[in-house]
Amino acid sequence: MQATKSFEQAFLRHLLRGFRLSAVSYKSMSLQERKSAIKLSADVAMASARGSRKWTRGLITKLSREDEHRSFLRLILGTEYGRRTKPRHGSWKIPRSKKIVRRSLRVCSRRKNNLRAPHGVKSGVLARTLVEKRTHALKRLVPGGESLDGCSLLDEALDYVISLRAQVDLMQKLLTTFEAPKLRALSKCTLPERKASFVGK
Amino acid sequence: MSGRGSSSRITDEEINELVTKLQSLLPESRRRNIGRASASKLLKETCSYIKSLHRDVDDLSDRLSALMATMDANSPQADIIRSLLRS
Repeated sequence: MQATKSFEQAFLRHLLRGFRLSAVSYKSMSLQERKSAIKLSADVAMASARGSRKWTRGLITKLSREDEHRSFLRLILGTEYGRRTKPRHGSWKIPRSKKIVRRSLRVCSRRKNNLRAPHGVKSGVLARTLVEKRTHALKRLVPGGESLDGCSLLDEALDYVISLRAQVDLMQKLLTTFEAPKLRALSKCTLPERKASFVGK
Repeated sequence: MSGRGSSSRITDEEINELVTKLQSLLPESRRRNIGRASASKLLKETCSYIKSLHRDVDDLSDRLSALMATMDANSPQADIIRSLLRS
C-alpha cells in the first residue's frame, strides 16, 4: 500500500515552501537549528498534504505546544493557525476513561483470582494485559491517538505509517537530488522538468 | 472492537482487512509471510516500525542539515537548490 501521487506532490510543494519560509538554505544557523527547522517543515508538510485526519490534527496540535515552533507555524499556516492548533476535545474525557479502564481491569483480575482459574485462563488475562499495554504504547506514538480506541486506532496508525514512509522516501530523494553527480545532468533541464522527474520516480 | 458504543458499526471483515493491511506494511511479516498474527504481536511490530521510521526522519534531517550547511554559496549545487526553493 502506498501514498498517492497527488499526496507526494502536495507534500513536496509544502516541504519546499517550508524550507523557503524558514530560510534553511541560506540563513546562517547552527546544525541543530537547521535540523529542527527541516524536521518541522517535514512534519507540517506531511500533515498539510494529507488533509484532515485525526493524526494530522494531533500532530499540528503537538507541534504548536513547543514555543520555538509557533512563529514558523503561524507563518506557514497563516489564518488557519488559530483553528488548527486548538485541541478538538477537552482533556477531561481522557482521564475519566482511563479511570474506568483501570477500575474494570482491577475488577476482572480480582474475579479471576477468586475463581482460582486453570493455567489457560491466567495466560488469557496476561495476554489481554499485554494488548492493553501495547495499545497504550501505540496511542502515544500515533499523534492524536490518545482519544482513539481499537479499530479507529489501527485505522489511524495505518494511515500514519503510510504517510511516514512517504516522508522518509521524499527526504531521501531530496538528499540524493542535492548531491553533486546528479546535479550536473539536472542542470541541463528546465525547472519544471526537474520537479517532474523528481516526483515521478 | 470491544463493542462499547452503538456508534461502532464496524464489522469483523473490516477489522480483518485493517489487520491484514497493517501486517502487509510491517517489514517482518513481508519476509516471513506468517498467517494472522496475534493482536499483541501486531501492536508491538507496529510500534517498532513507527519508531524506526521516526529515527529515519531524524537521521535524514541531520544529513540534509549538514548538506545545506556545507553548501558552497557559489557552487552549481547551491544554485539549483535555491532555484528549486524559490519556486
